[in-house]
Amino acid sequence: MTSTLNYEDATSSSEPLQTWTNPLRDARDLRLPRIAGPCSIVIFGVTGDLSRKKLLPAIYDLANRGLLPPEFGLTGFARRDWSEEQFRNFVKTNVQEHCRTQFREDTWAQLAEGIRFVRGTFEDAEAFERLSNTVSELDRDRGTRGNHAFYMSVPPRDFPLVAKQLAHCGLAKSEGDAWRRVIIEKPFGHDLASAKRLDDVIAEVFDEDSVFRIDHYLGKETVQNLLALRFANTMYEPIWNNNYVDHVQITMAEDIGVGGRAGYYDGIGAARDVIQNHLLQLMALTAMEEPLSFKACDLTAEKTKLLSAIRLPKDLRAHTARGQYAAGWQGSREVVGYLEEQGIDPDSTTETYAAIRLDVDTRRWAGVPFYLRTGKRLGRRVTEIAVVFKRAPHLPFESTATQELGKNALVIRVQPYEGVTMRFGAKVPGVTSMEVRDVSMDFNYGSSFTESSPEAYERLILDVLLGDPPLFPTTREVDLSWRILDPIEEFWSTLGTPEPYRAGTWGPAQADEMLARDGHRWRKP
Amino acid sequence: MIITMQNTETNEISDKIDELHEQRGEAALGRVLTLIIMTNEQHLEQVLLWANEASREHPCRVIAIAPSERPASADETTRTYLDAEVRFGADAGAGEVIVLRPRGGLTHHLDTLTIPLLVPDAPIVAWWPDEAPSDPSAHLVGAMANSRITDAIMSENPMQTLRDLQRNWAPQNVDMSWTRLTVWRAMLASLLDQPPHLPITSVKVTGPKDFLPLLMLAQWLHLRLQVPVTIETEDDATAVTGVYMTRADGVLSLERRPADKGIATVSVPGQQAQHTPVPTRSMQECLSEELGRLYPDEIYGEVLKSMPLD
Repeated sequence: MTSTLNYEDATSSSEPLQTWTNPLRDARDLRLPRIAGPCSIVIFGVTGDLSRKKLLPAIYDLANRGLLPPEFGLTGFARRDWSEEQFRNFVKTNVQEHCRTQFREDTWAQLAEGIRFVRGTFEDAEAFERLSNTVSELDRDRGTRGNHAFYMSVPPRDFPLVAKQLAHCGLAKSEGDAWRRVIIEKPFGHDLASAKRLDDVIAEVFDEDSVFRIDHYLGKETVQNLLALRFANTMYEPIWNNNYVDHVQITMAEDIGVGGRAGYYDGIGAARDVIQNHLLQLMALTAMEEPLSFKACDLTAEKTKLLSAIRLPKDLRAHTARGQYAAGWQGSREVVGYLEEQGIDPDSTTETYAAIRLDVDTRRWAGVPFYLRTGKRLGRRVTEIAVVFKRAPHLPFESTATQELGKNALVIRVQPYEGVTMRFGAKVPGVTSMEVRDVSMDFNYGSSFTESSPEAYERLILDVLLGDPPLFPTTREVDLSWRILDPIEEFWSTLGTPEPYRAGTWGPAQADEMLARDGHRWRKP
Repeated sequence: MIITMQNTETNEISDKIDELHEQRGEAALGRVLTLIIMTNEQHLEQVLLWANEASREHPCRVIAIAPSERPASADETTRTYLDAEVRFGADAGAGEVIVLRPRGGLTHHLDTLTIPLLVPDAPIVAWWPDEAPSDPSAHLVGAMANSRITDAIMSENPMQTLRDLQRNWAPQNVDMSWTRLTVWRAMLASLLDQPPHLPITSVKVTGPKDFLPLLMLAQWLHLRLQVPVTIETEDDATAVTGVYMTRADGVLSLERRPADKGIATVSVPGQQAQHTPVPTRSMQECLSEELGRLYPDEIYGEVLKSMPLD
């Protein structure tokens, strides 16, 4: 049975306009998720930890949430002597182990159809020819239409080689509407000069617009919530300046040691590993002015402005601190010191704890120090941004009443227990005396919203496939960050061995002294 | 944990909830909304299962109202108009569940019955999982709700219900028939995102006879594309089975046949057909989507108001 709706008024659409808009999309139609267009991802270093635990599961989860197109391909490139079948099993095992959404055979079966494996080393030009053929075959069989993203889950020293090979076999350039994108992971160099060299190599092969530098911290819900907290509310903005803010502490503490990353970590150290990227980005988001919009270019403009306004302390000895963990007990486990770790030079001067003071030369932040610290084998695993406020200018209480009152603070907990804490004074109950003490008010992300928020990599990979990169640091941001860190590293290199601190504590004594000099003390998060 | 409270009062219920929160060390402040469900004893357990699942994503307090069917016994001297249950922990989702079984005159005052039990200063969502009132915004609970969800295809006479909903449309109303289409609509939109961007000249949709989601999909496509849309019914279909969009270079289609197999096929002129898993949407997913957006759905309004239903 057939019936036709009666539409006398229906007119067929005219010729396509210059700027085509999809008639099925409407800004008011917020239900429609954005699904990536036809494309494929090629992962270099597919057998590595990151790929196994994060990338492959994230790709599956995206497929399971219906955010990947039917025309999707996934190619693994690795040295192992695997058949396509063995590689599929490898992917399946890791997806099953680490995926966050339910494992459905249907989703898997469809995803598996687009999975390919290319065996080879980065030196092997023939392997890249095979890769090129595999990718064209995906275009033909899976309809990926020449859109391909290359995920460099490999050590940075291999970037130049892989980039050159991609250029050589013609994969780096695309035709017509099709795109090629490359995703690189930190570290983006180990100082300004090396970062620039790395950029030059990649810029030779890919356009700046097609290079995506992943900082998975920026994909976390809490970091995005920081923007919501600051720019969607009225109650924080009026106090978000040097009239009210005393200082800011940004902490990323790890309880683990150097572990399997010894080879990479020694000679790099905590500051290059964490401060240069994660902490400076968090600082930029905390301190930047309101962006015109949340489009990538507007966000980047504000972050860049802030990073350009950062000033280093004159006396680096007084306002930076570094340490190296010594043996001790991490909670209830006995652990070795950094110098005894496997694969570490026993004379290493690499720091595993770094703290620095930075100032921001703007009207908003003049005179407000920002303290950034990070370290391994600290008290517990925590990342937070604490905005500490000035004391009330006058306290109409007996001095004894407020002796236990600290400074008010707003703490954005990035992980774990994602959320926001406010610390303020409250009266201790009792009729005989007036006594004010610190209390906490908590907003817990997990209990107010979804229990299963998407993993940071899901968001970031989808952003790359959609070509919408608001959360990715640009070359300029990376350069500015190195400009901030390089003088500190240079100064530290003249100092010899960092001060040891007992594993499981909150870092070396000089870090406490560094804050005490300014009349502050570190939070114990 | 289910606590049964026969012949009770609302203040006893809220005291009980406070007491349980205190005992369990939980705070009611984390609840982001109150979901009030108008249902009956037959559907109650199934509906609560869906609500509990959805509450894991949107922690809410669930208040389910099922008019009492318990005959009053003569020896009850302390009889009130209300029986209730409070469910916590394993018997609730991420929030708490309150089941209210009013009787007598109380069934005509459902708004003041629930007001003392709402999460303070949080949005209210009203949901009619089976029979919908002819005018949800005039319903006592509906009138105070920020969002009103009906499900016409679950009612006795779906077509008549939809006509009523169309006549009495209000911005905060939405019907689950529309929610069931989101995945289809998203896939169709991304199909058109891809070049070449040629104009669509006609559309055909296929599915069961008088199937409300199919009618809505056809109307949406007609409104957006401004082209004739043909509806073809298939006797054995259980859900929307296909959308075929004709343009100069051929037909773009999205098919899922049979619907319960959950595999969709996308065909684009000049390309190999591709398959992708699209399981039929569960009620819990639909409810979760509705709880995730509380703003008025204008697109739905435009589609519903313009549907030729007579």
